[in-house]
Amino acid sequence: MDFTVLGGAIGEALTLQSFIGIGGGVLLGYMIGVIPGLSRSVAIAIAIPMTFYMSPYIAISFLIGLSKGTAAGSAVSAILLNAPGEASSAATALDGYPLAKSGKPKTALQVGLLASVFGDILATVILIFVAIPFARVALMFGPYEMAAILAFALVFIAGLSGGSLFKGLAAGGLGVLLATIGLDQQTGLPRLTFGVTELMDGLPLIAVAIGTLALSEMFVQSERLRLQRGTMSVKLEHRPDDRLRWPELRRLLPTMLRGTGIGTAVGALPGLGPSVGSFMSWGLAQKLSKTPERFGKGAPEGIAASESADNAVIPAALIPLFGLGIPGNVSAALLIGAFAIHGITVGPLLLRDDPEFLYSIFAGMILASLILLVIGWYGLRLFAQVTRVPPHVVIPVVIFFCLSGMLLQGYGTFGLIVLMAFAVIGYLMKKFGYSFVTFIVAFIITPMLELNLRQSIILSGGDWSVLLGRPIALVFIACTLVALLVLAWRTVRGAVGPAPAGD
Amino acid sequence: MKPILKPFAAALSIAALVAASSAPADDWPNRPLTMVIGFAAGGSTDIQGRVLANVMEDYLGQPVNVVNQPGAGSAVAYTRLANNRDQGRTFLYGGITALTFTPIITRVGYEIDDFEFLATLAVGQNSIVAASGQPFSTFEELVEYGRDNRLTYAQQTALDEAIMRRIAAAEGMNVAIIPTGGGGGMAPLVLGGEVDFAYSGGTHAQYTDGGEMIVMAFMGPERSPFYPEVPTLIELGYDLVMEDYRVIAVPAGIPDRARERLVAAAEQASRSERFRRVTEDNTNFPVVFYDQEETEAAIRRIRAANEAVLGD
Repeated sequence: MDFTVLGGAIGEALTLQSFIGIGGGVLLGYMIGVIPGLSRSVAIAIAIPMTFYMSPYIAISFLIGLSKGTAAGSAVSAILLNAPGEASSAATALDGYPLAKSGKPKTALQVGLLASVFGDILATVILIFVAIPFARVALMFGPYEMAAILAFALVFIAGLSGGSLFKGLAAGGLGVLLATIGLDQQTGLPRLTFGVTELMDGLPLIAVAIGTLALSEMFVQSERLRLQRGTMSVKLEHRPDDRLRWPELRRLLPTMLRGTGIGTAVGALPGLGPSVGSFMSWGLAQKLSKTPERFGKGAPEGIAASESADNAVIPAALIPLFGLGIPGNVSAALLIGAFAIHGITVGPLLLRDDPEFLYSIFAGMILASLILLVIGWYGLRLFAQVTRVPPHVVIPVVIFFCLSGMLLQGYGTFGLIVLMAFAVIGYLMKKFGYSFVTFIVAFIITPMLELNLRQSIILSGGDWSVLLGRPIALVFIACTLVALLVLAWRTVRGAVGPAPAGD
Repeated sequence: MKPILKPFAAALSIAALVAASSAPADDWPNRPLTMVIGFAAGGSTDIQGRVLANVMEDYLGQPVNVVNQPGAGSAVAYTRLANNRDQGRTFLYGGITALTFTPIITRVGYEIDDFEFLATLAVGQNSIVAASGQPFSTFEELVEYGRDNRLTYAQQTALDEAIMRRIAAAEGMNVAIIPTGGGGGMAPLVLGGEVDFAYSGGTHAQYTDGGEMIVMAFMGPERSPFYPEVPTLIELGYDLVMEDYRVIAVPAGIPDRARERLVAAAEQASRSERFRRVTEDNTNFPVVFYDQEETEAAIRRIRAANEAVLGD
């Protein structure tokens, strides 16, 4: 690493303009994240035109700051309102909302923020020093490995929801079925579209996620409001012990480290995305905990695990982007577009041809994390006030944001119909104890699993022995089988695991 | 109305009529325009389109707002455009596969005749690519190799798959074809050595400079200006072409004035340094200007050719 280049890069990162640009990006992202209905990729897509008039360095740092802001901000609505704005924050709500409800909203928000910033900075450091030279490792994960990992993620995350195996299968099966709608990836022939052009690309994930996760929660809460006035969301009482203390934070460090590790690995593998990261991390934290029964009932470890992984995915998704020119997820793909607008081709050549630019972006990313810490820290005092707003005001406002956010994506009336339909489905699932987490995870994973499985089967020509030369795939297949057996065993014994997914 | 005011009113209305009829011809558009992009933000069409909107806005003197209407490879956007009654104030910038290909394999709510295609501004770069360092480096060597060895090919559309099946059948090659779901999915499979060769719509451009990928055949009717040494499929002896144009489309029957002005703005954009830079340097599409007649003829010709390829 050339230190004069590094010095110059840091110099550029610390100008007033970059403070304003990156700070603006983080603030905007944070606010968008807080509002349920506006998601990370939408935020980037909308903000790209705003960067036309910025210098390339500020433009890219602005956009990365924006994604970091949304990842941290989406924890706020998940914790305070149980209305995660994105699927990746749904894992945060599992523990965040109960903790806030038990009278510690500030602690919950603080844990979420600190875990976000921790995962963020650490993953950025990994990106800079370790990952880019080793980005080629990601190429070892071909279709066989990806299919095995996705199968494992599906079984593992579905198993977290506990409760009845049959209800779990029903919820997961619905997710799988609905995810197959749209044009077949190879033949281009329509499946289950019933002649509706809008369905040719499948049900838009964003509408399904916001409907099932956020909007349905507003239905649940308005019903509760009607039955028993005044107990909606969180009552923020000024309890003197509602504050995160150092010993407690120290106990969370191993969880955050693990979460960052999972988030980094998931982000570095093209395609997996933040929701897989946050749920895997939450699940692993629960399995490894000495007191797994606390999870889903307000364990700070649950928030820390989910948020650190969610935020670690963002810098990690840039590993394949900078190392190989392959975007790690949708937001990273959008960044390629932003780079291109500014005349920069992202990929392995960037490090060779323009290292100063690359290092100044890294410096900008660290700066963004620090700004996020400051904004989040002061912001959470402000956002905690939301809990004082009466529910009959909060509920319609959130519904409004969900609907208008959907319109912003450009799906039109069709998007609103899908959103409402899945709000109803989500409401019924919550009402009758079907795991909406299993449903949404199955819906997200199925298209990727299908593609990679088809690739594997065609590439191998149906020959199982190919797997013998694929140790990584074998390990994950073994893990999947073990997870399945454990699930079956738990059902046979009739033991009911912790049930975070229900209400 | 009081009688005394009548003459004033008449004069006023006459003045208004005169003003309306003698308004400068460059009046159109007098309201902001909308450019529809049939893909999500960030893709190559979107990048080109946003710069194009910028350039057209300077020329037309009204803002050009970019709206993304993703879905079904622009079929959703074309469906909405076919029902648009904005008199030319809403137009689409994008590819033509939703017209030349999608209607062949599935039912859509529009036909080529529902639109006018005012201009072609860029030409797609459909190619057959492979990672470097393989036992073959030209298409002839690939064919030779494929006669004795099983090859794997990464497709992205049913059309490029149909073309590759025809070549494989004609040459007696053993090719297994796998889906990728787009250029972003193709690159890791090729670079990681999972597949032997692949179709690419333009993603390869960022890997050919560094020598990680090679282009073995170009699928357009003529050689690509970016890879002048690479032969076309026609030159290699296959009567197969896969073309993609980036065009400006409007609903059929817009006012003449709107058509004139949009065509003029498009022609001016094709000469703009800004549009050329983003389109050629960043997305590797050569910028061209084909007029309305030429563009519409090309779309019908490509549609017929695709029907022939997919016919069996």
